[in-house]
Amino acid sequence: MKVFIDPPNSLVLFDLVERFGHEPLSTMAAIQERVDNIEVDMPPMNVTLDDVVRGLKYAGVEVPSGVRGRLAMWGPLIEEADAAIVMDDCPYSFGCVGCERSNLMVKYLLKRRGIPVLHVSYPEDDAQAVSFVAQTKEFLEGLR
Amino acid sequence: MTIKIAQLSCGTEYSSIQYEIEKAARSVGAKIVYPDVSASDIDEAVKRFGFTPRSAQLKLMIARAVRLADGKYDADAVFITTCFRCAEAALVRNELRRFIQENTRLPVVTYSFTERLKASQLLTRMEALVTIVTRKELLSRERQTGITVGLDSGSSTTKAVVMENNKIIGKDWTPSGDVVASATTVLENALKMAGIEMKQVEAIGTTGYGRFTLGEHFHAKLVQEELTVNSKGAVWLADRQRGEATIIDIGGMDNKAITVRDGVPDNFTMGGICAGASGRFLEMTSKRLKIDVTQLGALADKGDWRNAKMNSYCSVFGIQDLVTTLGEGKRFEDVAAAACHSVAEQVYEQQLQEIDVRHPIIQVGGTSLISGLVTAIGEILGEAPIVPPDSQYIGAVGGALLSSGFL
Amino acid sequence: MSEARETRLFMISPRSMLTPDQLVRMVHAFGEGALVKETCYGCLVEGPRDLVLRIRDKVREDYRNEVFTKIRAYPCSDPRRCRAQHGTRPGFAQLEEEWALLAKVQHGLDQVDKGAKYVAPAEKKRISVNDFKKICEVE
Repeated sequence: MKVFIDPPNSLVLFDLVERFGHEPLSTMAAIQERVDNIEVDMPPMNVTLDDVVRGLKYAGVEVPSGVRGRLAMWGPLIEEADAAIVMDDCPYSFGCVGCERSNLMVKYLLKRRGIPVLHVSYPEDDAQAVSFVAQTKEFLEGLR
Repeated sequence: MTIKIAQLSCGTEYSSIQYEIEKAARSVGAKIVYPDVSASDIDEAVKRFGFTPRSAQLKLMIARAVRLADGKYDADAVFITTCFRCAEAALVRNELRRFIQENTRLPVVTYSFTERLKASQLLTRMEALVTIVTRKELLSRERQTGITVGLDSGSSTTKAVVMENNKIIGKDWTPSGDVVASATTVLENALKMAGIEMKQVEAIGTTGYGRFTLGEHFHAKLVQEELTVNSKGAVWLADRQRGEATIIDIGGMDNKAITVRDGVPDNFTMGGICAGASGRFLEMTSKRLKIDVTQLGALADKGDWRNAKMNSYCSVFGIQDLVTTLGEGKRFEDVAAAACHSVAEQVYEQQLQEIDVRHPIIQVGGTSLISGLVTAIGEILGEAPIVPPDSQYIGAVGGALLSSGFL
Repeated sequence: MSEARETRLFMISPRSMLTPDQLVRMVHAFGEGALVKETCYGCLVEGPRDLVLRIRDKVREDYRNEVFTKIRAYPCSDPRRCRAQHGTRPGFAQLEEEWALLAKVQHGLDQVDKGAKYVAPAEKKRISVNDFKKICEVE
């Protein structure tokens, strides 16, 4: 099954989804699709004006362009997803996931899709990490 | 030498404009760089800065600014930019600009973008950053020497000034038409007034929108953007070459607010998303009132803006307000005053919020001849601006002054 | 899809004794012919997707819970994301943070392999005003 991960560029979530037998839907794949397109020359990410305009599907024109551009990248992944894992309260959320408004919207779009969504907490110690891994594994195995 | 412009930003890549920013930088011989920070620097920097945004990219911006402030990263200038309409980013952008200015001597420019941004819109700003870094010595020039000419090809008017031994000896202006033809006319008239032959001119400096075309046509020794050139012209005309000042230049198409230290700009804002609040709006108002724009100021001085409601945020809505107000039978004097007040208000709300106003305030450019507008700026800022003589010739004077540096 | 280029980032957990150098030599020893680039946290492997996945599975056979992977959007040494060109990219700080987290995740995976199950943490609730009042009165 296709599992959307949030943060959408997380190494840990990407690895666990694959490890437990599913296909992670990540920012990396969405960006790869763009950077490998040799017909577009808009470095570094080849995000184009058309992408940002497509973002209007998720947020109105009064919403900053950065939010619409991000949603244009993640929106289609959310639509494609069969399930999702969301890590709440990440201390790491730089770069791609740098905009809090976009992140709130991603969580909302997942909720609206009505697919199974697992919310996990960022593990602060070893005991919590065991719980986090076990919970993720149970969720992913239950998707089969 | 490639000038390194440190970019502190949020949203540029996802707004599809990072390429445009880099293109603008490249075209003026600069390169965009990101100050290196590690994860552990970020929390500490945010704590030290004292503003904790929810968005992580803004935290990263803060950490990068702290790195610059601590002198741990080598850059020549700073470009701070975030999405238009993002409140959180707007707060961080302005406070970081202030932080950089308090802690470094690096020139800073801030900008809020939409996805429609094109490199050409950033060109003048980037060029100014590069000029400030590479032409420090030239910009510190305080006296004009020899016989030189300055040509300022603006969006509304074209101006020429002839200077000899630190004095203006000839000048002329005309509404802009064909760039070269307009400049040739004003140059000939200015030379006639000065009693000088073209062959006696030792150097020419060009500035304004048509600077490249004019530079090539007249074999100018100096071709430079209007931000730095106008600043020099303004402090020379106002005799404020030393110390600090704020220069307000309400132009025909965009407005500039520049802070200077010893005549050299260290922060500036220019234009904005909408060009509504500019000299063009006052021109449109005059036309509707069936008077010449040169009469608008005196008319406004006789009126009270409080009696007529007007908003020039957007020129279309502004004209709508104008039509409505006149339809209500308001006095022309009050309408003229309201138009001036509205432009001043927009300059205050859009430009002056992005810089820290320093004293004195020097108001220049063609619109500084509209007394009602100067009154309105003074009223809003609580301090009457200095309007130096020949204030509409700042660009041309700056061009003549700086080009003498090449003799 | 299987023939498409895949660039995969291999990151070694800080709890592991494996070094990036050993990991790279191991990948080379598989003789799969992929492009391998050593990094400070592990390595990057690039090649057709099938091949990269085979390498991932082989690494997992020996270092099941010590090496973590995700795909990377950009090919190795792509100037659009090269650190030497601009300085660190925005996601760099995140990778640093995630690297530190891998030690805990490794431990979690080890324990789950041994049969550890998820136990929901006790829900934290705010005490009622009345209970709080009682505590205040006792104090």
